Amino acid sequence: MRDPMIKRIPREIKSDIGKQLVIFLFFVLIISSASGYFVSGDSLIKSYNESFEKYNIEDGNFELYEKADKTTLEDIEKDGKISVYENFYKQEETSGFDSNLRIYGERREIDRVCLLSGDMPSKDNEIAIDRLYANNHKLEKGSKIKLNGRELTVSGLAALSDYSALYENASDLMFDNDKFGVGVMTDEGFDSISDAHLHYSYSWKYDSKPKDKEDAKDKAEQLVKDISKHAVLTNYIPEYVNEAIIFAGDDMADDMVGMQAFLYITIGILAFITAITTDNTMIEEAGVIGTLRASGYTRGELLRHYLAVPLITLTAAAIAGNIIGYTVMEKYMALAYLNSYSLTTYVVRFNLKALIYTTAVPFLIMLVINMVTIAGKLSFSPLQFLRRDLSRRKKKKAFRLNTRIPIMTRFRLRIIFQNLPNYITIIAGSFLANFILMFGLIFQPMLENFQDSVSDNMLCSYIYVMKAPAETENESAEKGYLTDLETTYEQYKHEQVSIYGIQKDSKYVNIGHEGDGVYISTAYRNKYDLKKGDKITLKEKYADKEYTFTVRDFYDYPSTIAVFMDYDQLEDTFDEDSRSPIYLSNKKITDIDDMMIATTISKDDLTKTSRQLMRSMGSIMTVFLVFGIIMFVIVVYLLAKIIIERNARSISMTKILGYTNGEISGLYVHSTSLVTVLSIICTIPLADKILASVFKVIFMSYSGYFPYYVPPMILMKAMLIGVVSYFAVSLLLNAKVKHVDLAEALKNVE
Amino acid sequence: MFLEIKRVTKSFGEGESRQEVLKGIDLEVEKGEICVLLGPSGSGKSTLLNIIGGIDTPDEGYISINGEKTADMNEKALTRYRRKHLGYIFQQYNLIPNLNIKENVEVGAYLSDSPLDVDGLLKTLGLYEHRHKLPNQLSGGQQQRTAIGRAIVKNPDILLCDEPTGALDYKTSKEILKLIAEVNEKYGSTVIMVTHNDAIKLMADRVVKLRDGVIRHNTLNEQKTAAADLEW
Repeated sequence: MRDPMIKRIPREIKSDIGKQLVIFLFFVLIISSASGYFVSGDSLIKSYNESFEKYNIEDGNFELYEKADKTTLEDIEKDGKISVYENFYKQEETSGFDSNLRIYGERREIDRVCLLSGDMPSKDNEIAIDRLYANNHKLEKGSKIKLNGRELTVSGLAALSDYSALYENASDLMFDNDKFGVGVMTDEGFDSISDAHLHYSYSWKYDSKPKDKEDAKDKAEQLVKDISKHAVLTNYIPEYVNEAIIFAGDDMADDMVGMQAFLYITIGILAFITAITTDNTMIEEAGVIGTLRASGYTRGELLRHYLAVPLITLTAAAIAGNIIGYTVMEKYMALAYLNSYSLTTYVVRFNLKALIYTTAVPFLIMLVINMVTIAGKLSFSPLQFLRRDLSRRKKKKAFRLNTRIPIMTRFRLRIIFQNLPNYITIIAGSFLANFILMFGLIFQPMLENFQDSVSDNMLCSYIYVMKAPAETENESAEKGYLTDLETTYEQYKHEQVSIYGIQKDSKYVNIGHEGDGVYISTAYRNKYDLKKGDKITLKEKYADKEYTFTVRDFYDYPSTIAVFMDYDQLEDTFDEDSRSPIYLSNKKITDIDDMMIATTISKDDLTKTSRQLMRSMGSIMTVFLVFGIIMFVIVVYLLAKIIIERNARSISMTKILGYTNGEISGLYVHSTSLVTVLSIICTIPLADKILASVFKVIFMSYSGYFPYYVPPMILMKAMLIGVVSYFAVSLLLNAKVKHVDLAEALKNVE
Repeated sequence: MFLEIKRVTKSFGEGESRQEVLKGIDLEVEKGEICVLLGPSGSGKSTLLNIIGGIDTPDEGYISINGEKTADMNEKALTRYRRKHLGYIFQQYNLIPNLNIKENVEVGAYLSDSPLDVDGLLKTLGLYEHRHKLPNQLSGGQQQRTAIGRAIVKNPDILLCDEPTGALDYKTSKEILKLIAEVNEKYGSTVIMVTHNDAIKLMADRVVKLRDGVIRHNTLNEQKTAAADLEW
């Protein structure tokens, strides 16, 4: 005969349909989001990984000071055991909108192009451009782009396989698909563009593919020496450090781990909520359980019975969540990446891992947490159930509270101590919710602060990096030097450090010129926790030569990893080939030929990180905000509701005694209010501290420095959102207290 | 008349399953009386007690205490009525499990402008030494004494007792009945006690027997027996 207890299960779900529905819908929301995320992410990652072979993505590229002749290239190929491909580009500023467009010729062999819509260029004045860059500037097939006097027609939108993230320079803190774009033209079209900004860029493929990253590193370190023997290198980027190629893949992989952690923590909290709910039901049904156990039902049978509802709810939610994940959420989740990265076409694939992550693992978490709770409860004897004797601590004396504390306050404290597991889960849920909420809230002000801070602390409006010394009549211009070195930390990625040589009477950078040591930017100090007197060791980018400097003091420059030293000191330290003359100026220099200027650094260059992050992440932040609020409301409401249900008999009795609904809410709801508001006040600063550490770790893997900053108003705003959300919850709880029947106390529970 | 119950009717259920539990009850109780409501299960005695206690409402008729009619009261007024006039004792004690003994009594005291001294009352009830314990650390009799303490600490006009000895053994039941009689005597509270134990009628001033929702007997007991001397 089938266990007749099974018939109870649908009735149990029906009898508490509101709560079950809330839990179910929340599970569906989380699982469908996670499933969509994993499926789209995995499909994109697979397509991205396949793109290396499909589009023959380079193993690296280098730029030479001048065009290499055939013999030089052959020597490089021979020494480096590589095949070299010309991949010249020209970079021009666009007119009409502020951006730099990097143009390549036809790419038949290396770094091939994936056409996403329209056509590849077939005429001299046609160009196929990056999809995101086109979207940001509302360009489509047929649109015109003006650059350097030429007007080009957009023939189609494409993804250049070596620009999945639009990094203009390898040293950039962030890609920027607004101010920087890439495109391809026919070879004839490419030749017809002015050579003023022609870059002699070459891509290479190893004859034998590196076995792993270590091998790739060894090979690249050898190759740079081999190339340097034959030509003057101006740029050298092996594939494994080329952010334009690898950033998207790394980021998508990292996000998967983050999403998994988020999914499991959320499921864990919900599992605790269901476990507490089941525990409460078992206390209510103690007499029934005692009778069943006395009649011969085993612990296992009852364990399975009480496990059924939470597991059925989760399984149903997992099925619904995965269906929605594959059909609806996948598209939205993919957008998060497609709005940031210039990825080639992808197809949605079935993902077993996603199914395991979103179904099997949550099921296991739910099973373990609920099983431990229920099995613990079922360890009481049938007689203890019949006597409702289900507390392990009952024989211990009740702890004392000072009788000078008013009775109502003591009453509230007793409620808090009685329901500690609920309140601890509320605090944990509140922390997680606030963490998510804060993540959604801090982003914009943090980016704004970054932009303000960069604007307020710029050395000057323009820094002109010259290819060779040149003179200007501009009175605002001040001579200096710039050279780039690399950090040498073992544990962190090597990143570029800008070394400035500053004149003694500089009107732009005020540093001391006497004595030893160098000034480092506050960004450098903050990122690597440096102190005065510390020694920093830097090395040349494409050579092994190392330089060690002592930190003398700090210079307030919050966005760039930079070192400032005296002009003469720099001249003495670096030879002519490894230092570039620069002009610091507040006014545009117009009397120097563009051909003489290697780069111009302006505010736009320094704020590209924040602008790109805002574009990529801005809309997602609202999702975090809403999700944080929903999670907070659900966790607090479900757990506080359990407290009221558990105390229904006492509430009923206090009503009979003559307590008003307001007074009873004052006891049972205000205890929750007290804990919740305190947890909001405590967990928000805690979330802030943890976010600061998380951001620091995240940004350690990026070049440059992005200070974590949350204005106090944001903390207040987060607290206010929490309190207002709780106010809505407390209205529901008050209604719940009001609905506790007076007859509850009259029920015979023996 | 202190407590007046006039033409009170009460039914449960609808249609064919409708059951008339009280069929026009008329009853008057003097201040300070001990009134015992006797009757078999389903006679309507607990329903009547709940209506007197303002935790249930009559379909028709009214209850009046010192001229205040409960039928005219909304929920808030009914709460005030219970707060001002009533103390309740149940068979199940209904103590608040997470408050200690003293705090349970203080919960009652909080409702009154002039409550009895809590420590003094605990001593009278023989609970002072147990005041820091939780209810489930005490015996049934001690718990019921705590419930009595909670009910009388606010010095109510009426003490409503619903089978107060129903869950207790013979000896403890007699102790509790003795205590109720002492409260009645010492504080002058009117006691309305529902029981199906016929022997308890001997300690009452008024004995009301119900059957099928109707008062069958309403008699005054001229020769009360002390609770300690009751036998069953």
